[in-house]
Amino acid sequence: MGNAMSASFAPECTELKKQYDDCFNEWYSEKFLKGKSIENECSKQWYAYTTCVDANLVKQGIKPALDEARKEAPFENGGAIEQQDQ
Amino acid sequence: MVLWHKNAHVFDNDFGTVSLAFFNRYPNPYAVHVLSIDTLSRDTDSEGLLHTTRLIKKTGKLPRWSKTLLGKITDSWIIEHSIVDPSNMVMKTFTKNLDHTGIMTVEEYTTYRSDSGRTLVTSQVKFSSGFGVGIKNRIEEWSRTKFDENIKKSRLGMTFVMQQLQNRRNVCTC
Repeated sequence: MGNAMSASFAPECTELKKQYDDCFNEWYSEKFLKGKSIENECSKQWYAYTTCVDANLVKQGIKPALDEARKEAPFENGGAIEQQDQ
Repeated sequence: MVLWHKNAHVFDNDFGTVSLAFFNRYPNPYAVHVLSIDTLSRDTDSEGLLHTTRLIKKTGKLPRWSKTLLGKITDSWIIEHSIVDPSNMVMKTFTKNLDHTGIMTVEEYTTYRSDSGRTLVTSQVKFSSGFGVGIKNRIEEWSRTKFDENIKKSRLGMTFVMQQLQNRRNVCTC
């Protein structure tokens, strides 16, 4: 893949996604993991990207199932380990 | 019908590298069926944990025997939740398919934990289906094969991405 870009489901959001991801990766490695910042420092890139994604999500048939799934809290009560009955 | 599969693995890379690779794992040559991945929300909570929700789109890839039941299935959507605890160096991830759930729901829980410079990975996958006994054995066999196959590929993919991140770091003189 080499130079393959990580794509958005909506082609017109891919470039905005790349700009956001680049900013996030830098913040995550250099600040967040090192305990230097918990503030999202990519708000400008985030706003542009998420506006694009939200506009395009509405056009997808997946919206109702997605809204439902976003309410779930899979990690509460220890997640899978507690639920498993093996 | 519910089936669980478990697996453990060790990456020789540190937690920072592995968790960064997780966020950047697509595209990679071992996951050509993944079409896109988008971040839907990302926040840090009052305890300093990073919560991320992402949406993944894959091309439909189901076993041949299922085609008689399902007809032609095209793409499918996966939701991914993750939490990173930077002070304890632990990441928990969860993925689940959003559509075709009438056929089967696949939920994967994975934990990445730092261990003296390496990263321990444990995965548990839950396959559930409303199908009855008649088709149970085939689903059982398929899910196990699929699990082994997928977990192998996802690790090869992670290793590939980590190598790329490493190369990029070496090139960058910053």
